[in-house]
Amino acid sequence: MACSLLLSGALAITPAQKARANALGNNLRCPICTGLPITESTNDLSVQMLREVRKQIAAGHSNREIYAYFTARYGNFVLLDPPKEGRNLLLWGTPPAALAAGGAVLWKVLRRRRQANESTPAAATPNSDEPFDSFLAKVRRETRPSARQCREQDTESHA
Amino acid sequence: MTNTSPLPNPAPLWRRLLPPLIAASLVGVLGAALLSPSRNATTGGPLVGKPAPAFTLEGLDGTKVSLASLKGRPVVLNFWASWCSPCREEAPLFRDLSERQGPGQGLAVVGILFQETQEQNARDFIREFALAYPSLRDLKSDTAINYGVAGIPETFFIDRQGTIQHADRGGLNRERLNIGLEKIGVTGL
Repeated sequence: MACSLLLSGALAITPAQKARANALGNNLRCPICTGLPITESTNDLSVQMLREVRKQIAAGHSNREIYAYFTARYGNFVLLDPPKEGRNLLLWGTPPAALAAGGAVLWKVLRRRRQANESTPAAATPNSDEPFDSFLAKVRRETRPSARQCREQDTESHA
Repeated sequence: MTNTSPLPNPAPLWRRLLPPLIAASLVGVLGAALLSPSRNATTGGPLVGKPAPAFTLEGLDGTKVSLASLKGRPVVLNFWASWCSPCREEAPLFRDLSERQGPGQGLAVVGILFQETQEQNARDFIREFALAYPSLRDLKSDTAINYGVAGIPETFFIDRQGTIQHADRGGLNRERLNIGLEKIGVTGL
């Protein structure tokens, strides 16, 4: 605890800078236990890396410069949030592109189905066969109860 | 009245083959990506081809060693610790390497301690393997972070101009050591 206080005193960073160091540390991967950011890993190397982040913040470096420092030494793998540039754009762009493509396909299918529904009655009217008519009557009877009265009226008119 | 609607036109051949071709290409790409070994597993790294980061560290014997003072000489820089088993396996290679070179001329072999909590263990290690080259303290792992060291042993081969030409991690054997030495213009063991 005293050592930690001494360390933070030596670095002399403000609470805002400490919060920024934590935000940066949350995005940097522990090189040894690679599933954790350096803010959560208890490995000595992660502790020292986080101290290095604080030191660079105290020296006035920007976030981009600090990220560039670590990627120059550990590679892009050290970033838990890959930058949106270069080949990483393919990684970032694929999900929205797939979503847009899926939406386009779905819209196309629905539009085709709607056109088929609209064109079917017109085509069926001149070619009214008994089997088709009975099926249509059955469908109407099942879907719309009010259609029964029309059906009965038709029957009476025929008789 | 029988009204037979005409059969729908058959789809073009390319249209029917398109989904299987897409699926096959995806499986091929996935297989190739998974089966190819990771390029940076044991050699290479972001620092290869870049100037070696500078350091000035104090050795266990009290002498200060800086990379700038070794300019003009090829340098083999080895990060190690006494608790590291592969370091014990490669230590005889570094002993032979440093013994072959006379002091003050030719190749410089430098060790840097990585997270060594008990310095006496490091001294015992050095005595056990009769290592004559300097081993430097890296307090707070500043130099290790500057070199992107993620685990040990890790060895950097630096040429006469101070550029890192090769990096090896995971433990050296004679063949892998010679690969690094050739890249910095030094005859292998």
